[in-house]
Amino acid sequence: MKPTQTVALAARNLRRHRRRTIITAGAVAVGLMMYIAVDSLLVGVEEESNRNLIWYETGSAQVMHEDYLAERDDRPLKYTVDDARQVQQALEAAGLNATSRIVFSGELIVYRDPFPEDGSVMVTAYGIDPDTDNDVYRLPQTISHGSFLDPGENQALMGAWLAEDIGAEVGYPITVVTRTRHGYYQTIDLEITGIVNTPNPMINRTAIFLPEDVAAAYLQMDGAATEIAVAGRLGQSLPELTEEIEQQIAGAPELVVADWRTIAADVVALAEAKEMGTGIILLLVFIIAAVGVSNTILMSVLERTRELGMMRAIGMRDREVFATLITEAAGIGLIGGVIGMVLGAGAVTYLVEAGIDYGSIMRDTDVGYRVTQVIYGAWNLPVFGRALLVGIGIAVATAVFPVRRALKMSVIESLRNA
Amino acid sequence: MITVENVHKTYQTGDTAVYALRGVSISIEAGEFLAIAGPSGSGKSTLLNILGCLDHPDQGSVTIDGQEMVQLDKSGRADYRRHHLGFIFQNFNLIPVLTAYENVAFALNLLNIPEAEIKERTISILREVGLEGMEHRLPSKLSGGQQQRVAVARALIKNPRIILADEPTANLDSTTGEAILDTMRALNERHGTTFIFSTHDPMVMEFSRRLIQLRDGTVASEREGAPR
Repeated sequence: MKPTQTVALAARNLRRHRRRTIITAGAVAVGLMMYIAVDSLLVGVEEESNRNLIWYETGSAQVMHEDYLAERDDRPLKYTVDDARQVQQALEAAGLNATSRIVFSGELIVYRDPFPEDGSVMVTAYGIDPDTDNDVYRLPQTISHGSFLDPGENQALMGAWLAEDIGAEVGYPITVVTRTRHGYYQTIDLEITGIVNTPNPMINRTAIFLPEDVAAAYLQMDGAATEIAVAGRLGQSLPELTEEIEQQIAGAPELVVADWRTIAADVVALAEAKEMGTGIILLLVFIIAAVGVSNTILMSVLERTRELGMMRAIGMRDREVFATLITEAAGIGLIGGVIGMVLGAGAVTYLVEAGIDYGSIMRDTDVGYRVTQVIYGAWNLPVFGRALLVGIGIAVATAVFPVRRALKMSVIESLRNA
Repeated sequence: MITVENVHKTYQTGDTAVYALRGVSISIEAGEFLAIAGPSGSGKSTLLNILGCLDHPDQGSVTIDGQEMVQLDKSGRADYRRHHLGFIFQNFNLIPVLTAYENVAFALNLLNIPEAEIKERTISILREVGLEGMEHRLPSKLSGGQQQRVAVARALIKNPRIILADEPTANLDSTTGEAILDTMRALNERHGTTFIFSTHDPMVMEFSRRLIQLRDGTVASEREGAPR
């Protein structure tokens, strides 16, 4: 029997039980739509999270002391880029946008009047160069109240959620208690000049920004910075960027280059864990589709026992009967896959355009991803092809058992079946 | 042409052994129009199944044109059925999603015959069984007699040596049944195909040129000649 005839016969049988075919294919389609939609959200979250990391926390890559990366979470001031200005100029001379930052931890202390009450909270403070920071980062665009920093002024920008938590407003005085580069306690008095509401929850929740020269003076940095952030060129890969930066700092063996993926390894690991998330969705899809397809094929086989017996009696080989029934199952998978792709495309369009508002959850919970408020989906075209293959694969795999069972029956038993 | 020698067949039903055939021996010549008759449980369906390579005996031998059927494995039996045997069933057993034409052509599709030849032979045989103009009807749009004619055409189209018909008139009224038998006997005479029926329909027995009566798994009597 020619393959075209097998396909034609399978197609006729699918049409013969149109309602059942549509219901089963519909179950497959809904499962695959869920798979495509969840994948879109995860990819969208990952893309936005990465973008918000780069734009507000890490830049594309950073030059830092070789021992700084391992202890970066503790914000140590003992491992620094000692001649930050020279390194920054070298990078700029090579045509790269670069800016230095002094990042440190401190206890933010506020007092009743003007604040609602006395209190303190741990913050991450960023000493930034108001003139060059915007070459790499995007803080000025996120100022919701007040204005950006002026060099040499004891001013601070504060993350919006932090400001909301402690009741801060533009013009309020704050004190940051920290330790200098040499380990001495130091207090820095600042006035809030602006509130930044970024799409990065870490910044909104725990960050304050002050002019780098002010931070340097209080912390006795002597021209040192904790990191020099660099913006990658459009279309330039991370290894290419890293190599280019390394060439510029070749004369300083204590310095290393770390790209954003290395710096934010924990967030990257979280993104990789999403594979498990999609795996679970796939498993659910598998179960839904498997039950549906298996049941449909089983029903189809049981109903047609005598017909299958006749086919075998007149000389159709078992493998040809097998191929016909498996083709039917593949047809259900194909129909379900195509409908699933169409529904998935609709769902992704909605997620890309409208997104899902997770504002309240993101505000109160640190989920690791650097996203806030509305989570948007993203188009991931390969997943559509994968969904189609999964649909067909599941349908075929789950049909094997009932078909084999039917073929185990002798021809005579099949023919006797009423 | 067909030699059945001392064939025994037993079925196990629970703890009970049912003796379907007890040493049946018959010989059938090419081109015969033969009925195997007998009451229910006499073994006629079992004998027909063995002749049709759908079942195999516990003991004895069945040779068709010198070929020992008992030695064929499952795949060999399927191949033999595909090339050399035609089947007509009591319930017609047409494929509901295929038209009359497609049901008949289906038997040739299995033999991978060129499309043009399939078309020519299918149209010809449908005309021969009186179904001209009904080629594109689905089985559900045909009467019982018409469906059985499709089944006869399907059995005959590959020019098999033998056509086995299991109670072919059982689901037809007497007029239609007689018409079908007329058609089959005409085809038997025209093509020289051997027809073997199992039946307990007196009309079929009367129609046959040779009648073998089975009782309790043995040949009870034989009648040669004198068909209607």
